[in-house]
Order: sequence, then C-alpha cells, then structure tokens
Amino acid sequence: MGNRRAKGRNGEDPVRDYVDSDMEAPRLLTLLLMLLEWTRPGRASPLRPICDLRVLKHFIEEAKDAEAAMLTCKEGCGLPEPVTVPQTKVDFNVWERKNAPEQAKEVQSGLWLLSQAVGSLRGSVTDATLHSHIDNSLRNIFSIGQVLRSLNFQEYPPPGVGVSGAETWRVSSASELLQVHVNFLRGKVHLLLSNAAVCQQGGS
Amino acid sequence: EKKMTNDHLKKLLVYCMLCCTQKIIVQGAQTFQTKVALLRHVEPNNPKCFAEGIRDLTCFWEEDEERAGSAKQYSFIYTYQNENSSECNVTALPAAGGRILYFCRLSQTQLFVPLDIQVFRDGLLIHNRRLHIELFFLLDPPVNLTVKRTEKQGQLKASWMPPPLKYLDDSMMYEVSYVIAGTQMGQVEEVRASSEVILLGLQPGAKYSVRIRVKLDGVSYNGYWSAWTDPVLMATLPGDLDPLIVSLTLIISLILTLLSLTVLLSHRRFLLNKIWPVIPNPESKFQGLFTVYGGDFEEWLGYSAGGLCLRPAYFYSEELPAPLEVLSEVSLDLPSSPLPPKAKQAPGEDEKLKRIDSLMERWRETPHEHWLMDQLRVLHQLPGPQCSQLESQDAYVTLNAQNHSGEEPLDDILEETLPLQALFASGRTCSESHSDLGSLQQSSGSGRLSTQSSFEYPNHTWPPKGPGYTYMAVADSGVSMDYSPMSSSRIDYMGKGVIYTNEYRNEIPAHRQPIPFAF
Repeated sequence: MGNRRAKGRNGEDPVRDYVDSDMEAPRLLTLLLMLLEWTRPGRASPLRPICDLRVLKHFIEEAKDAEAAMLTCKEGCGLPEPVTVPQTKVDFNVWERKNAPEQAKEVQSGLWLLSQAVGSLRGSVTDATLHSHIDNSLRNIFSIGQVLRSLNFQEYPPPGVGVSGAETWRVSSASELLQVHVNFLRGKVHLLLSNAAVCQQGGS
Repeated sequence: EKKMTNDHLKKLLVYCMLCCTQKIIVQGAQTFQTKVALLRHVEPNNPKCFAEGIRDLTCFWEEDEERAGSAKQYSFIYTYQNENSSECNVTALPAAGGRILYFCRLSQTQLFVPLDIQVFRDGLLIHNRRLHIELFFLLDPPVNLTVKRTEKQGQLKASWMPPPLKYLDDSMMYEVSYVIAGTQMGQVEEVRASSEVILLGLQPGAKYSVRIRVKLDGVSYNGYWSAWTDPVLMATLPGDLDPLIVSLTLIISLILTLLSLTVLLSHRRFLLNKIWPVIPNPESKFQGLFTVYGGDFEEWLGYSAGGLCLRPAYFYSEELPAPLEVLSEVSLDLPSSPLPPKAKQAPGEDEKLKRIDSLMERWRETPHEHWLMDQLRVLHQLPGPQCSQLESQDAYVTLNAQNHSGEEPLDDILEETLPLQALFASGRTCSESHSDLGSLQQSSGSGRLSTQSSFEYPNHTWPPKGPGYTYMAVADSGVSMDYSPMSSSRIDYMGKGVIYTNEYRNEIPAHRQPIPFAF
C-alpha cells in the first residue's frame, strides 16, 4: 500500500510493475487473516490467573450487605415476576464426583442466571440504596466471570432463555433472590475458585 | 503349623483392630462429650447443632429426667429447601445433673442451603429451627502443636497441623494463647489461613505456655471456637545484657553511692546521735565528784564547799536555799519587861542561868559545834562563786548594827539587833557580800519577814563585839525556812543569858517564845 501513488482518477495511470501484480494477492490474504484473527469470537488474550480468594471474599461480603439491605425494604423492592435462579446446595459426595469442567459449567451457568435475575430486579427497585447494592452485585457477577476466565476455565455459552432443570429453581421475592446470590457465591463459586488447577500449581 | 500360625496372626489382627476401634470409639465419645459441654454454654437455641466435617451434622437437646421420655417418643424431622422432609433417628444418653441428652446425627448433608429442623415429642412440636450447616462448624482442635525458639531473643515459633478438612483450609482462623507458665500474664494472637506463627515481644528467659484453638473465618463458612489444645511449654532465650545499659547502670549507681556517702558524712554527727545517742555525763554538773571523790556522792556532798547551797539545789529545782546566820547578842540581864507576844519572859533568873549553863555545856560537847564552825570556816574560805551563790539568795537576815547593851530587852536583840561578830572574828575572805549574810533588817513591829525580802548587813557599823554570839543557819527552800541554831566558839558569853530563837516560816509569827537552846 505504501508503494501506491496517491494519484486521483484523472491522473495518468501509474506504470504497473510486474512485481506488484504478483504480490497483491498475498497481501490481501494477510490482511484478511489479521482481521479475522482479531474478530475471532470466544478467544481473549490470556490473563494472569487470579488465585487470591480475597477478591471473592470481598464480593461475598458485598452480596451479604445487599441481602441485609433488602430485608429492611418494605415497598418498591419486589420482583416483577418470578425468576430462575441456580441451585446453591452442595453435597460434597455429588460435587466431588463432578470434574472441573463440569463444575465450571455449572458455576458459569448459575452466574449467568443470577445476572439475569438481578438485572430484572434492578428495573423494579425504586430505593436508591438498594439500587446501588444491586448495581454492585451485577458488577461483581461480571468480575467473577473475569476471574474464572483468568483461571483458564472453559467458557460455556449461557443457557437459553427458559431453561430449567435440576440445577435451577424459581424464586418470586427479592430477598430470596439475593439470598440465593449469597449462597451461590459462598458455595459453588468459592469451591471452584479455591480448587482451580492453575492455582494449585503455585500460580499467583 | 503354618495354618496355626496364620490363625494366630488373624486372631492377633482382629484383636488389634478391636482395640483400635475401641480406642477410637472411646476417644470419639470423649470428644463428643467435650463438644456437647462446650455448646451447652454458648448456644442458647434448641436443638444445638454442630458439624464436625463437610458431610455430617449432629443436633442434640436435653431434658429433665422428670419430663424426659424414651427416645422413641421423639421425632427429628429435617427439610432442605425445595426438598422433601426426612427423619433422623433419635438416641438418648444420660447427662450431668440428672438430665437426659437426646441427639441425632446426619451422615450426609447439603451445605449452602437452608435446613429446617423440627423436633416432636409424642407428636407435639417442641423445637423448630432453620439453619445453614456450613455456618455451624465445631472442629477438633489442631494437632501436633510445636513451639520452638528462634535465633532472636523474645521470640517463639509455634506451628501446628490444621484439622484435616478439605476445602476449609483457607477459611480457618486460629487463636494462639501464650502466657508465662504459672501466671495469667499473656496474650492472644489471631492467625488466618496459616499453620504457623512467630510470637514476638516475649520476655527473655521466661517459660511460656502456648495453646491454640481453631474456628472458621465466617466468610463462606462459620462456626464455634474449638476446644483448646493441650499447652506446650517452651522457654525463650535468656536476655543478653546490653553493654550500654550495663555501663549506664554502673555509672548511675556510682554517682548515687557517692552522693549518699557525701550526705552521710556531712551529717554523721547527727546520724550518730540519732542511732547511738551519747549517754549524758553528769560530771559537768558535779565538779570534782568523779575526779576527786571517785564517784562517791556522799563524800562529795559532805566536803564540797557548795554543800550548803548546792545540796538544796538538787532537791529543790526552783530556788537555792540560802544559809542564814542569825546572830544574837546575848545579854546577861533578863529583860525587865515581859516580852511582847513574840517572846516570853524567862522564869527565875538563877534557875535560868543554871539551865543555860547546862545547856551550853551540853551544846559545847556536841559535834555540832565543830561542824558549824567548820561550815563557817569553809564558807569564808570558798572562792567567789560560792559566795556569789550565797549572795544571790533572796532570803537572808540582816541584823541591826546598833551596839546593844545588856539592858536592852532580849526580845529586841532577838528581833533585830544581833551583830555578826562571829563572822568578823573568823576572818572573812569573801567579798563584802558576806557581810550581808546574817543581817536582819529591822522590820516593823510586827516582825514579819518575807522570804523574798533581802537583808543587808552594814558591816561597817558593826563594831566587833565580844564573844557570845549565837547564830542560826537558815535554809530557805522557797516554801519554808528552816532555822537551826548554831553557836560560836565563844560560848561562854552566852551562858549567862537566855537565848531566844525564833522560828521563821516565811513570815515571822506574831508570837514568839523563847526556845531554850540545846547545846
């Protein structure tokens, strides 16, 4: 490209070199590959593993604060409709039978459901304090996703809308939703992060 | 034989397993009792539940023996959120204080989900509770607690093995208690997510008792503090003496010692008097008592020149008695007129003279005479101070210097006009003040005499008279005046007359009676 003269259309056509005509195709191909590489979905640049659990503990504390604030709310803090939330119970006999990817998938699915449910609560809450708590919870859910990504867990597509199964159930109150949020972070998310293989190898 | 050996080995193995199992069961029972006792004090709600691991849950409650029934009467129903109810078998055990302990143990649990627990007795709900199992951990105490000395002073390193619980390692917190052995002086330090700690700020050369307990940190998991481990004793390194501190201490000690010595030396006399007071020596008050008379007080009293005046001084603190010499001129003629109330007339003249002669002779023979003369002699020979002492006496008698003839009534002579010829005759070496002694100032007709009055004897008006004077020694104690009659060596002249003596007691009485002289 740098070799091409910047001549207008009325200008005399530049004398074409034999070499230029032969190199033009590879150039275009290279450019195309580069563009495709940048836009390739599902593949981010590798992040440094976040193995410090203090980050998660901080998110758990903020989720507890949101739950406590919701318990004091009496008006303007209800869910517009029942929402699907993940199961939070952990039976270690069952959990240990799952491998790491399965555990990661379960955690990622649950985080996605929670983000959807808390997002719907955000639209119906009028209290400013609760609003800030809810926004904080949404940011923390997104950050946990980033942490999971840093630990090289495989990313799975979110479940489709209306998904239901043994790993989900429906709640109809905001306090129940935020309690589920706390229990999920304390349970499955914590178990997954604390036993990440990358961190067990002495990573940071 | 081989088969027998195998049988023996199998029996032995079974026996060991039974022993181990029994030991484990006993230990487990003890642990269970310990945890029950611990929870009994810290958990107010019923049933009291605790999880020892990530897969179990034990709940118990107690009832009085009176109300208690059999275990079968009780139902323990538990329900996880969004699940069906389940029942747990209840077991009864005797408890302290005559109570019955009922408990139920779940061997498979679900965490991070609400659990509803209901207890029924004969179909009647007696306890109802909702809890999250992961928030009720009661762990066993850490094991293998080891305490070691570090290279630095005042430090100990404690390390231990955390309870072997998967997934909970990073959620455990520990409390390390370290006290000086035998005392309550110590501290408690909190340790999170670590199985060792270095204790700082300890006393060098002291023996510490270290113990530890564990609990979950409360973020994802929570629970109660475990029981303390058995204490481990370890002494810290002995402290080294800092050279700077030692030198400063020595310098300060030296300075303080020098200051103390300086103060002591400057006040040594005062301190010696306080600690070891000097025994008072009365020698200064008794001149010659120890040096001359060797401490013989009686002898000193008898021969000291100031005996007359000094002796009364040690009996009477206020005034020294003054010796008084009262000389009277004895007239051979009896008074023509009867004496005024002060004196009585003598009986017959002849009889009187005879009596007087006899009295005088007797009196002459008595040693009093010599003693009196000696007293007078010593009195004159004493230097000034004694004389001045005598001079300083307030009470002494001044006699009139008039030359009375024998015609004068005796009472007049007795009262006032008695020359001190004996004093003049013995040779006076004292000062003129001696002339004042024994002089009786003429008083009024009442003859009253005050002890406070002073008497003067105009010595120059006293012509030396012949012998025959009587005199009296007067000792004035300030309260009373004692008069003792004396006589001179020239007693012959006195034999012819009546000697009248008067008793003076602070004041001369109005009535005087002649007192026959005792010789």
